[in-house]
Amino acid sequence: MRRPYDSLHSFLTVFRREWLRMCSRPIYFYCIIVAPLVCLLFFTSLMKEGLPSRLPVAVVDLDRSATSRNAIRTFASMQQVGAPLECSSFSEARDALQQGQVYGILLIPAHFAEDLQAFRQPKLSYYTSYTYLIPGSLLYSNMRKLTELISGAALRSQLRARGATEDQVLGYVQPIVIESHALFNPSLNYSIYLTNLLLPGVLMLLISIMTVYVVGSEVKENTARFWLERGNHSILLSLTAKLLPYTLVFFVIGMACDVYLYLILDYPCHCGMPAVLFLTLCMVLAAQGLGLLFFALVPTLRMALSLTCLWGVVSFSICGMSFPYAAMSAPIKALSHLFPLRYYYLVYVARLLDGHSFLTAWEGYLGLFAFMLLPLLFLLRLKRELIHTDYIP
Amino acid sequence: MIVSHFHSLWQGLKDTLHIWQLESHIIFHDAGVLIFCLLVPLGYPLLYTVIYNTELMREVPITVVDQNHSALSREFIRKVDASQWVKVVSSAQSEADAQEAIREGRTFGYLLLPGDFSSRLAEGRQAYVGMYADMGGLLYYKGILLAATDASLEMNRDIKIRRAAKFTAEEDQIAAYPVKNEEVTLFNPTQGFASFLIPAVVILIIQQTLLLAIGMAGGTAEEKQEYGELIATSRRSRGTFHIILGRALAYLLIYAVTSAYMTCVVPHLFQLPQLGRGADLLLFLLPYVLACIFFAMTLSILMRHREMSIMVFVVTSVPLLFISGISWPASAIPPFLKGVSWLFPSTFGINGYVRINTMGATLSQVRSEWLGLWAQTIIYFLTAYLSCRVILHRSTRRAAALKG
Repeated sequence: MRRPYDSLHSFLTVFRREWLRMCSRPIYFYCIIVAPLVCLLFFTSLMKEGLPSRLPVAVVDLDRSATSRNAIRTFASMQQVGAPLECSSFSEARDALQQGQVYGILLIPAHFAEDLQAFRQPKLSYYTSYTYLIPGSLLYSNMRKLTELISGAALRSQLRARGATEDQVLGYVQPIVIESHALFNPSLNYSIYLTNLLLPGVLMLLISIMTVYVVGSEVKENTARFWLERGNHSILLSLTAKLLPYTLVFFVIGMACDVYLYLILDYPCHCGMPAVLFLTLCMVLAAQGLGLLFFALVPTLRMALSLTCLWGVVSFSICGMSFPYAAMSAPIKALSHLFPLRYYYLVYVARLLDGHSFLTAWEGYLGLFAFMLLPLLFLLRLKRELIHTDYIP
Repeated sequence: MIVSHFHSLWQGLKDTLHIWQLESHIIFHDAGVLIFCLLVPLGYPLLYTVIYNTELMREVPITVVDQNHSALSREFIRKVDASQWVKVVSSAQSEADAQEAIREGRTFGYLLLPGDFSSRLAEGRQAYVGMYADMGGLLYYKGILLAATDASLEMNRDIKIRRAAKFTAEEDQIAAYPVKNEEVTLFNPTQGFASFLIPAVVILIIQQTLLLAIGMAGGTAEEKQEYGELIATSRRSRGTFHIILGRALAYLLIYAVTSAYMTCVVPHLFQLPQLGRGADLLLFLLPYVLACIFFAMTLSILMRHREMSIMVFVVTSVPLLFISGISWPASAIPPFLKGVSWLFPSTFGINGYVRINTMGATLSQVRSEWLGLWAQTIIYFLTAYLSCRVILHRSTRRAAALKG
């Protein structure tokens, strides 16, 4: 008969055994400590600037008048526009674009100043390639602003000459003004959309891979039976004691990331730190659940690992962070429900960005809980596999 | 003299081909390696294209909050709705309702027309329209901004023309809008997400799968200590050289097929831009695949067991995509990280390929990337040579220790 004391004892035995294994292998050190921290520093320092500024751009000035030079100066003074590369012809600028030296071309046509004076509506052309999507879009919006500024300046001087007041001038130059606001991220900081989700994505990938590996390596090293014996022949107890060390260390790493992002770098977080930490814990457990699920379904170490990493890499594209969920086709939308990162994203948007209540984000939490609990359905199958499978490389 | 020279060349060729045969056998008899060498290169580009192929979202659903209820505010809303960028799907009474719609995922932003919208315009003062976009996704913002700005420019023009009559009786309508602007999208007229991302992803897949496959093959050999034939070959003159060549040949031939599929067939299937010339593409991809192969061979020295390459390399995929400068502009990458990025063939590979494929650049226009790849090919060939020597030496010593 089993007594509670036995269970506790075997739990501690398995836990200690795993803790020692964890601390003794360099690859574990890499996956648990090095990779997450390098990614944390990488993403935050890569996008340190927030919005990219000083983007290289080419200018073709076919007019060469004081007005056109003035326009170029105004353009160059905008924050996102770098010192323009002055080209004498369009083909020269196009060449620079194809060589990757610039992200866009501003073309000022010949007789620009003359046409402006004579009200012949000269046209500023902006050439871009969305091969590079972010710099292309940013330069485009600056270019639009430039056109507005030049139009405004030209009209303003005319109206002033006719004795209009400043208010009248503004009301005439630009009757309707669009004031753009980014909800929940007023600084338009790209890092805030990307780092907060890329980092958990990377962490989840590592956690799932580690989970598959630590369980699978028992089979590979022919120690699975020994491990289950230590765990009092209870698969639930053996697994919990074995995976707990990783839950703990990954939770600590996750908390370190949270503290760095939300307390030190001050990324927006409208739900308070305890809720963030709770989400991180759910994330760690859901990722472990996914790894366990894959190993229970495909109990070959290499196949389960391949499956886990292929799954994890796709989750970045399918979770809705880089490409909007609404734009996906119906089958892909359905497929996205099989990725825990999708649920993390839902909770992140509802809680951290929008500051809504726990209940509003129920769908995301439910998904994460489901991934934690799903492997329980396959425990017996897993146990059978652990006892009877021999490692075939 | 000449005969012996010829003989050693002949022996070298035989060794190279033998190693090539050996390595091909390993690849095609190892399901794990095959997954990365064939399945991922064949399947992943399709999956990604299916995810992204709805191209850039047009008709972004938005809400309007019209607190003005005038003919002018309705005209503005009509103009916004007519734009290809957004679709007004609902009108809300308050901002709170509009935000609720965003939270429920029905819309991605809203426009706020304040109560004094028409009266301000009537008085000749500036009227403000608030534009609020959800920042959860990167693409909504630009579409909503474009739609709102276009509508405002159009209405501004009409209003100015009406007012121009007051200020300047004789000057014609054109005064209303002194400068026009025009956007010309070169090379990628669809502005799509798929055509922007897929070319870069495809190139990254080549490097990552080579790292995984060669690392896995290396790890397996290390586990089993099956170096007999390699050690025998390495003892002959220039043996290590032939080992490297033979193994590289095995991967090069496989990747000649998969790369052609990924860079030519996939874009063709999904009508993605394909402006590059075949010869340029071939000449560019050759050093890329070679640099990746030798890079992977160099790093396979670290692989002590077969699963290790998965655990080490998979996680690098996302950072490598960002560091390449394709989604985050290279001009905004800190110098230190830019230096790090030059260690990886993918940085040069992605930038060069994307410009050839999507922007129609010629080989001479991507000269710096091309030379960078050749430099990497040479350097990583040398390091792969050293790495191979170390692995074989290590294994010989271990075998000797076991015997003794």
